[in-house]
Amino acid sequence: MDVKTRKITGQVIFVLLALYLDGLMKWAFLNNMNTGEVMLIPQLMLMVLVMLSMRISDRRQLITYGIVFGLIYDSYYFGMIGLYTVLLPLAMVGVDHYKFLFVKANMGYEISIYFLALTFMQSGIYILERLLQQTKVDTMDFITFTLGPTLLWNMIVFFILYIPLANLSDWLVKYRRDK
Amino acid sequence: MQKFFSNKKLIILMLIIIVTFGLLAVSVNIKDKKSTPPVIQQVGNDTVSIVGGIFAYPTNAVKNASSEFSDLYNTYTENRRLKSKIGELAQNQAKLKVVQEENKKLKDELKLNATLTDYTFVNASVLSRSPSSWQSYLTINRGQTSGLKKNMPVMSGKGLIGRIIEVNKISSKVELISTDNELNDKFASEIQSDNKNVTGIVSKYDSDSGDLVMENVTSTKDVKKGQKVITSGLGGLTPRGLYIGKVSAIKKDNYGMTNSVYITPAAELRNFTVVTVIKSSVSGEE
Repeated sequence: MDVKTRKITGQVIFVLLALYLDGLMKWAFLNNMNTGEVMLIPQLMLMVLVMLSMRISDRRQLITYGIVFGLIYDSYYFGMIGLYTVLLPLAMVGVDHYKFLFVKANMGYEISIYFLALTFMQSGIYILERLLQQTKVDTMDFITFTLGPTLLWNMIVFFILYIPLANLSDWLVKYRRDK
Repeated sequence: MQKFFSNKKLIILMLIIIVTFGLLAVSVNIKDKKSTPPVIQQVGNDTVSIVGGIFAYPTNAVKNASSEFSDLYNTYTENRRLKSKIGELAQNQAKLKVVQEENKKLKDELKLNATLTDYTFVNASVLSRSPSSWQSYLTINRGQTSGLKKNMPVMSGKGLIGRIIEVNKISSKVELISTDNELNDKFASEIQSDNKNVTGIVSKYDSDSGDLVMENVTSTKDVKKGQKVITSGLGGLTPRGLYIGKVSAIKKDNYGMTNSVYITPAAELRNFTVVTVIKSSVSGEE
């Protein structure tokens, strides 16, 4: 197995791990099931994918990642296909398109890009689910009880996990083209 | 027209919109109407759930350990309360056994094979919960091969927690009763009052108080706070006698027309790692 295949396998395992951790985090300690309207949604997979798309320059690879992991996420967690499958590649292409604006990736830039991507994903999902009558929550309630807490929680997680995740994704993407 | 087709970005945007709504409409329709998702999706979900089991096992172990730890705090008071109930329980068990035997004999004489109260059950462990605000789904590790079907009720240790919404070969999704959803999630139920049982439909969830709301109640005259609510077994795959919770309040609706009964659910919906899927022996319409 050459270095590139090994690195790609590593990236896929990295993203899959984050995918499972999303569900487990929600199940293990964010499942306010009985009372309270506040919804915290862990979005580790998006975090990992944003970090990877800041570093990977091949756009075709990014779109493939977005569609494949979006499909798995939709089918396994939502039971309906078309939310993450479409929005995830869009968000990743968006990050890829505007990342030339940042000379050097640092924490401040990455946290603001993740913030924008998260807002885009959550609002997109809300709009699509509202259109298809999967939810009746009105916009103000969505912003107050879902979007706000979700952004806050994920920003804190990003802040804590930034250094290990950034180093890991640096290592997973960069390799020297020598035989 | 020539100019329109030369605009690549516009065409891509149009395609994205068509694909999004096409995919969503088809998959939502399949979810609502078909009893199982397409085979490819089933295989995909099963594969993901098998790997997910590896991660879920340690998580559930930690979850169990932490809930045992919190149990330890109130052991003393709980023990005192339980001691007083034990005597009563033994008496009730003996009585129940006699009554069950008598019931069986009478059923044999009447040549009744199965009634609404008969059911078998399958235990399953929880793999994960959907990281989503409006789809409160749990993924469990049993599916068609264990005889599960769509719409079967699911209990945790103490009471009803929801209903199966999607079955794959070896995994399925459970929709919790706390989902605020108009279409699904209705349980025909009855309140065990002194004279006559009052029937109704548990159809809503009040997220402020965490109570279930029972509507279409026949009459609230005999209903009192603290009475027990069970499933009535009318319609569908739910057997009779599954415990839902206790009556906590009776309120008029906004127009003062009908009464709604608020129920505190018995299941805690939080501290469990194993669920029980109930298979009714009398099969309703598919």
